[in-house]
Amino acid sequence: MDGIAFLARVEEYHKAGWRLALINATSLMPSDELAQGAFDVVWAFAKETEFEYLRERVMPGEEVPSISASFGASFLYENEIRELFGINVTGIALDLHGQLYKTSQKVPFSPSAIRARLEANAAAGIASASATPPVAGKHA
Amino acid sequence: MKRTVIPMGPQHPVLPEPLVLDLILEDEKVVDAVPTIGYIHRGLEMMVERVEYTEMGFVVERICGICSFMHGMGYCVSLETMMNIEVPERARWLRLIWAEISRIQSHLLWLGLGADAFGFENLFMHCWRMREEVLDIFEKTTGGRIIHSVNRIGGVKRDVSDTELAAILVRLQDLGQAFKATAEVFGSDPSIAHRLGGVGVLSAEGALAAAAVGPMARASGIATDTRLNGANLYDQIEFQPVVENAGDCLARVVVRLREIDQSIDIVRQAIDKMPKGEGQPLEIKPRGNPQGEVFTRLEQPRGEVLYYVKANGTKYLERFRARTPTFANIPAMIQLVKGCDLADVPNIILTIDPCISCTER
Repeated sequence: MDGIAFLARVEEYHKAGWRLALINATSLMPSDELAQGAFDVVWAFAKETEFEYLRERVMPGEEVPSISASFGASFLYENEIRELFGINVTGIALDLHGQLYKTSQKVPFSPSAIRARLEANAAAGIASASATPPVAGKHA
Repeated sequence: MKRTVIPMGPQHPVLPEPLVLDLILEDEKVVDAVPTIGYIHRGLEMMVERVEYTEMGFVVERICGICSFMHGMGYCVSLETMMNIEVPERARWLRLIWAEISRIQSHLLWLGLGADAFGFENLFMHCWRMREEVLDIFEKTTGGRIIHSVNRIGGVKRDVSDTELAAILVRLQDLGQAFKATAEVFGSDPSIAHRLGGVGVLSAEGALAAAAVGPMARASGIATDTRLNGANLYDQIEFQPVVENAGDCLARVVVRLREIDQSIDIVRQAIDKMPKGEGQPLEIKPRGNPQGEVFTRLEQPRGEVLYYVKANGTKYLERFRARTPTFANIPAMIQLVKGCDLADVPNIILTIDPCISCTER
């Protein structure tokens, strides 16, 4: 992602009086196009009844700049997506150094962790989602 | 000056749920606070990997016992939006009524906890006694006092007869009358004013910067309320957000006091406007599997809750995320704690109405 252009777009929301409503990450499972998987990250903003968001595709290990300079409240979401998804967020205003959540599994929502769980479920005969992304038109 | 670190929580007399806050003090002043919110994190969002979307609603409503109904509703509305399901009108009105009754019981619960925290145990007992009456209504109409399991993707499981709705309204209005005496104590007692007035002041600018939601923001003069977007039939209800301008702990109490009256009035309007007659359809069964993504926003008692659901056409969701109002209000809470006296920390924390179960979904 182009960090400078992204932060400029975020600052526009800040200047226009929007509130940070959510930063959410979704793991994309490894596929032919994404050998290591990836993350779909959304930064959502709200103003009165309006709701808009920015979306970026983030590759594993890729740096994602913190938006703390524009939205100070982002630190909680940024610590969360770093701890739970392993997304490399840099420059967080209040860096909790992995102390926000006390999870038994490190980075439980990374693509590799999800795939490992789903494959283990399949091996044990436990009904669960598939580790292979569904093919369009051939959904279970 | 020498700094002292005091770990507050996870167990503390004023905390109804385990929250950990490392308070950094210079003498009696708090200069910084570092939160840890993972003490009871359950990983419910991860369960979409193993729980089919038709069953996931039962998990979602167990995120929290206070906000159970609206979590279930938010999940179902998300899936209905994604799957283009037109929910029968009577079911939508029933959801609105139950949502407002949820707000009343949640605010009564919190007012009791708040009273207990600032040392007014009698007031605590009055609030919780009244809350029991609201829970009776839930039990009679949904079958459950805490976990209701009445929401379905496509509608609701149970109807409430018109006679019963009329009786509920009478009961709520009687409760509203009885509550006036209790509200009067909150609003006029000098010891409460002394304890909460001017404490933990959050300005409107500060609330916006901290992305505060719900009564937390409204007590700072921001007229924000997700219900204003008109979804879920709120476009047919006449109401204005309850706003106070002082921004202190007392203002946050007053907002919730006034919102109880407002919710009773919204229930009255809903019962007036909903289509009469039993035996109407209450549920449209979903067909196939969901595909796509959707954001859903609701106004829970503590403020805006935001659900993100992503589905890939299988019976398992790809992602479910609930951003709860307490999660959104934690930055504001930390901002308020900085610079306050140690003795005021419990009241400041409590007046955001923290729901740690929601936050640690």
